[in-house]
Amino acid sequence: MYFVLTVLLDGPMHGHAIMKEIAALSGGRVRPSVGTLYGILDRLCERGMITVDREETVQGRVRRHFRVTEAGRDVVLAEARRMQQAAALVMNRIQPA
Amino acid sequence: MTPLERRYRGFLLAYPRDYRAAHGGELLGLLLDTAPPGRTVPDPREVAGLVSGGVRARLAAATRRGPAWADGLHLGATALTAVQFAALLPYAPAIPLWTALSALALLAVMRGRPFLALPLVLLTGAKSVAIAAGTPLFDTTLLPVFPAVLADSPLFARTGPVAVAAGYALAGAALLVLAARGRRAAPRSWWWAAAVPLAAWTPAAAPHPLDAGRIALELCLLALAVWASRLTRDPRWSLGAILYLLAASATLTPHLQTPASRHLAYWTLLTALTATAALAACDAPRAATALLRRLTTPA
Repeated sequence: MYFVLTVLLDGPMHGHAIMKEIAALSGGRVRPSVGTLYGILDRLCERGMITVDREETVQGRVRRHFRVTEAGRDVVLAEARRMQQAAALVMNRIQPA
Repeated sequence: MTPLERRYRGFLLAYPRDYRAAHGGELLGLLLDTAPPGRTVPDPREVAGLVSGGVRARLAAATRRGPAWADGLHLGATALTAVQFAALLPYAPAIPLWTALSALALLAVMRGRPFLALPLVLLTGAKSVAIAAGTPLFDTTLLPVFPAVLADSPLFARTGPVAVAAGYALAGAALLVLAARGRRAAPRSWWWAAAVPLAAWTPAAAPHPLDAGRIALELCLLALAVWASRLTRDPRWSLGAILYLLAASATLTPHLQTPASRHLAYWTLLTALTATAALAACDAPRAATALLRRLTTPA
């Protein structure tokens, strides 16, 4: 969920682009399956974190472009701040080499 | 259509029909776009994702079936009428009218028509209690009623009239509440009707006959209820399970007197699964923590 919200901060994207971006961001570590990715997208839509920006038809198939909402942006920002503070607790205790 | 596309389409059946119609093509397109060229066998990781995603989508759709309390009562009433029909099914040639009425009752419940189902359940209930008690009612029935298929002991040979009455009373009460609500419930899956022959199956086992089919179904469905409650945090499954457990307890109670009986072990198992489903639905650890915090925080 965190990765999906993070890549969508760059602008609206469809499923395939989200998947590629997540793989690139995580250095190939995070590779959700298609079913998992769309499960996450559905849940984020339901909770109002993201919304469908537009739909396009490619080769007879409807493809949705997702966009992060204000609420989604606030949530991912709060989560990033929390992790930054948690990381700082460790970093501040270790003397720079 | 390539073999890979055909196979992935098969796994997309895990999703509900509406979901497939709206987004099936989108998922399929992405599956095919990300598959390496020349691949003909679906990736097991993708298959696992589709199956779990499909089941999640089905559960999410189930939580939109109206208020949880009404759907939970409907679920419990469906399970009870299915078991009641299954109890009569092996004796259909001897009591064709009552078996048919019981089948109609299940059909009316499954189609979400509590008004129609209530008189049918009360009628078959009254006759069943009379047979279990050995008293004549409505028409002449030669007792004991012997089975034709699936079972080998006479009807209600091991169940007393009180237990039979309790099951029908619970189903009737749930239907009465649903009927008072004044609207139809969403129809339930045809799998309930398909499960009836399995629930009716009682293989002869020494030294006592064992309701193996019904027991297997009960345990599988209760395990599903626990899992669905855990995933959705929705109380409808545990409410249905509690209603069913009450009726099952009435059936098992006369057998619980003997210490260390098989019945006691089985009743404990049913109760534990139902309690787990209820706790999973209300997210007990989090609720307990919140309550403790409220109690320990000075006002």
